[in-house]
Amino acid sequence: MLEVRNLDAFYGAAQALWDVTLDVGAGETVSLIGPNGAGKSTLVMSVGGVHSSVRGRITVGGAEVVGLPAHRVCDHGVAIVPEGRRVFGHMSVHDNLCLGAYRRAARARYRATLDEVFGLFPRLAARSAQLAGSLSGGEQQMLAIGRALMAAPRLLLLDEPSLGLAPVVTDEVFEAIATINQAGVSVLLVEQDIDRALDISSRAYLLAEGRVIAGGPPETLRDNEDVRRDVLGI
Amino acid sequence: MGKQRDVHATGAKAGKRGHVASLPIARGLIGIVLATGALSALSLYRETLGFPIAYLALLTTMLFWVTQATSWNVLSGYSGYFSFGQAAYVGVGAYTTAVLFGRHHVNFYATALIAAGLCAVLALGMGMLAFRLRSLRGEIFALLTLAVPFILAALARINGAIDGGQGIIVPLPPFPPALGRFQDFLYLINLVVAGLAVAVAFLMAHTRSGWALASIRDAEDVAEALGVATFRHKLLALVVSAVIGGVGGSIFALQIGFVTVDSVFTLTVPLFVIVMSVLGGRTHWFGPVIGAVLVVLLQDRLTALDLTGWQLVVLGAVLILMVLIAPEGIYVRVRALFPRRRGKATEAVGPDIPESTVDSDAALVECDGLTRHFGGVHAVQNLTLWIRQGELVGLVGPNGSGKTTLVSMLAGSLRPTRGSIRIAGRDTTGLPPHRIAHAGVARTYQIPRPFASMTVRDNVAMAVMFGREPRSLGAARRIAERHLVMVGLAHLAGAYPSALNLHQRQLLEIARALATAPQLLLLDEALAGLNPAEIDNAVEVIRRVHASGITIVIVEHLLRVVKALATRVIVLDRGTCLADGDPGTVLSDPAVVQAYLGKRAHA
Amino acid sequence: MSTLQAALAGVLLGGLYALMAAGVSVTWGVLRIINLAHFGLILVSAYLTFQLASSWGWDPILTLVITVPAMFVLGGVLQWGYDRVGISELNSLLASFGLLIMCVQLVSNVWSADFRRMSAAVNPYATASVPLGRLIFPVTTLLASGIAVVLIAGAQFALRRTFTGRALRAFAEDRTIASAFGIDHRRLGVLLGALSGATAAVSGMLFALANALTPATAFEWFGTVFAVVILGGVGHLTGTLAAGLLVGVLSGVVSVLLSPAAAPFVLFSAIVLALLLRPQGLFARRAVR
Repeated sequence: MLEVRNLDAFYGAAQALWDVTLDVGAGETVSLIGPNGAGKSTLVMSVGGVHSSVRGRITVGGAEVVGLPAHRVCDHGVAIVPEGRRVFGHMSVHDNLCLGAYRRAARARYRATLDEVFGLFPRLAARSAQLAGSLSGGEQQMLAIGRALMAAPRLLLLDEPSLGLAPVVTDEVFEAIATINQAGVSVLLVEQDIDRALDISSRAYLLAEGRVIAGGPPETLRDNEDVRRDVLGI
Repeated sequence: MGKQRDVHATGAKAGKRGHVASLPIARGLIGIVLATGALSALSLYRETLGFPIAYLALLTTMLFWVTQATSWNVLSGYSGYFSFGQAAYVGVGAYTTAVLFGRHHVNFYATALIAAGLCAVLALGMGMLAFRLRSLRGEIFALLTLAVPFILAALARINGAIDGGQGIIVPLPPFPPALGRFQDFLYLINLVVAGLAVAVAFLMAHTRSGWALASIRDAEDVAEALGVATFRHKLLALVVSAVIGGVGGSIFALQIGFVTVDSVFTLTVPLFVIVMSVLGGRTHWFGPVIGAVLVVLLQDRLTALDLTGWQLVVLGAVLILMVLIAPEGIYVRVRALFPRRRGKATEAVGPDIPESTVDSDAALVECDGLTRHFGGVHAVQNLTLWIRQGELVGLVGPNGSGKTTLVSMLAGSLRPTRGSIRIAGRDTTGLPPHRIAHAGVARTYQIPRPFASMTVRDNVAMAVMFGREPRSLGAARRIAERHLVMVGLAHLAGAYPSALNLHQRQLLEIARALATAPQLLLLDEALAGLNPAEIDNAVEVIRRVHASGITIVIVEHLLRVVKALATRVIVLDRGTCLADGDPGTVLSDPAVVQAYLGKRAHA
Repeated sequence: MSTLQAALAGVLLGGLYALMAAGVSVTWGVLRIINLAHFGLILVSAYLTFQLASSWGWDPILTLVITVPAMFVLGGVLQWGYDRVGISELNSLLASFGLLIMCVQLVSNVWSADFRRMSAAVNPYATASVPLGRLIFPVTTLLASGIAVVLIAGAQFALRRTFTGRALRAFAEDRTIASAFGIDHRRLGVLLGALSGATAAVSGMLFALANALTPATAFEWFGTVFAVVILGGVGHLTGTLAAGLLVGVLSGVVSVLLSPAAAPFVLFSAIVLALLLRPQGLFARRAVR
């Protein structure tokens, strides 16, 4: 579904990613772990076309997306759940979700998708008319995921969905991610809670200082001293 | 404490007496006086020179606009706060003279002074209101100033004591017959006022206020955090601008002879001064002079060609083109074509780092019950902690744990929702950032924010000039060299920040923070985005800084760096303190590992 | 009684201010462009209405058939231009100021600086009025306020209920994330600029119905309309409408109680106060919309 090949990413003069290569197969959940500042969010934003200062190849479902503006990448079925949620705080929950279905392919059947999202997150249905900015952190995270689902994505990019959430809420969010994946959506999950991430992933990559250091099935990364050392950066 | 204050005061005096910067200032002022003198000859020896009086009228118009454009530039060009209210000063000036001199026969020169006073009061009022707004943005300021002439115009129109709607005739004032005709007098008085205006603008550009205003234009909150009293400097610029504009308006009343609301409170005034300054170059004192001359010449040519109807079209087009193509203006563009030989690197002054009075047990920072909310999010919750002098504290924690919020509260750029902060025993909660800077706190920014219009040396010198012990530019530059040596940037002192790579910019941030002579240095992710070799270098620099007796709080993701540097580590998680202690113990604490790695990592 | 009449007249006149302000407010709030050229478009439309009605004998309202498409295109082109050069907020203020004075001068070159007014023969609306009890409503102001309310309510509905409207609101809040959900800011911006141009055409027509035209009028709107934009809250449509009405009533009542010349004094003092006390706008809840 997603192939990233030899990707370099830049912020002005500073390089944030070096020669990153990774894959997400169709229907797979792949997690990307690594310390803060390793370049995980940069990778997500680059795949989504939001960060455009990149060199290398990114294909989604076989189509080249490097160089496309974000709104065109979206047309290839890529949806982002950004770090920090970034819901539209001055719009209602309902309007946030409808906005997710803006792209033409999603718009046609947005009512059906809306019901699915409300089925997945009943709490959002209850707060449909409320302003997104007034939701709790956990509800905002659900909204951000719901908004991405509204785009009827083939590939879902999740950036730190557990950020700032209480453990109980995090459990809920991760269950939802597993459900989404079972419905056939490929997932690239960026997460600092390594154990939770590995629990629901079929493969994982370790990113540190802008480079992929290790990759493979969860078992090879779990409780691996090198991983712990790299993630903690000690 | 009292004794220390005295030391600072003497230091300040000694600094201000520094003569290095005053030589070019004297030269510039002499130049302006000579130019004014030479121009006065055109009138005084008009007949001998055979200079046509019609040209004198053109020059008079030019001088009027030189005054007005310079007045505008002193605030708007220097500080970047665009004003659309220039007509307010012209109007107040013209009406003061028209009413007092025209109607009540007060001495003309006295009315010009009164006009200056009234404009100063007006500007003080505007500035006190506008610049107090914490969220004031340039566009809001522009619109606020746009409203002022409308209000004053309406006031003049309805108030019979001012105008009442008929207009006021301004008679010829008495002037020495030796000056020649009235046109000569008008020219000379405009020349004197314009000369004074340019001299004032020149002086401002070359003294502390010019530097303060330039730093405000480049990055206002950074300037404030470095110790620049931004409010005071903006207010001063606004008042100077108003006074110049008002005096100019006062003599404009003579020039037009009949003052009406429509002739002075017109949008043409802000339009012209903006076009002139943007065209000539608004960051430089000489830009508006060039702009005014060019625009008036253009206007004159268009009139001569019988294209009066196209004047505004051409001016509008000029404005658009300049904004799009060369926002920095002609003068700055042209000067960039002839690079001046940069003075060879000033010699670094030998280290006179203050004798280390480190009392390692004294608490330098005391936070008590510190809390900060953003909407419903509790970024920092009820945090109580002490930092002792001489410590190097690593502040770590997962994303969103409140590290940057804490740093911003310590530096004063964020107010705590609750709780208090004491620095060196003094309560700094809620003080403006520049006062906190003077209390000995300096910070760096995650994304470096240098003053783009200044060289690396001057970026640092800025911080020295406006630090706890105010210094003259010359002295500040020499001290700046020392800080650049400390971080290893001395070889780039003459370069502009745009030529620096990320690592060098981050080092510049550190040098600039050091230049405020801090007791406490807050480094917010000063190593983000660096490669390993650069990180090692930065770690060395931070060690050196710490060794010089400065207490440091470093926010850093790379725990190995924290482990290598810190004498103590504080771990934040969801806004509260999760662990606090020596690096080895803290970083192997299971709770900390869990916060970083997830629920079962330690199992 | 005359105060009440003045207040009512003010309410109705306020509708026109609100309509003029709506275009400026939304492009500012959503696209971060302060488009002073909007007043130029209004001015040109007003003169076009005058010209078409006077020389071809068209009903002034019918002239919208020409002016609306023309201003739609011009507004779109302008926005396309701003976007092409990637102009900043402050620079847009400067550049569009340049455009505005060019418009004013061109209008003055074509139609002269004298007052122009449609003759009663072509403009039946100017003299007609509807009595309502002891109050009298001129048809022009009824039309102006009615059309303004309908257009603003329609725009508000579109912003709330259509995909494009939601996209605009989302875009105003977080451009990056909005683009990640398929929102093409270029197309959206041009569309918004064009729509705002169309409202300029309507405003110009309505102004020409009731008033004599002179090029300098554009500068007079400039102050009042910005008052409305800021009081209403930038990018906030219903706030703009409310602020328009407030400003209308305020100037109407002050004109009667004090003098017409005093109206700007009260008005702009109110703006300065409002800016200082609530820089986000009187009627804005928190930020954009």
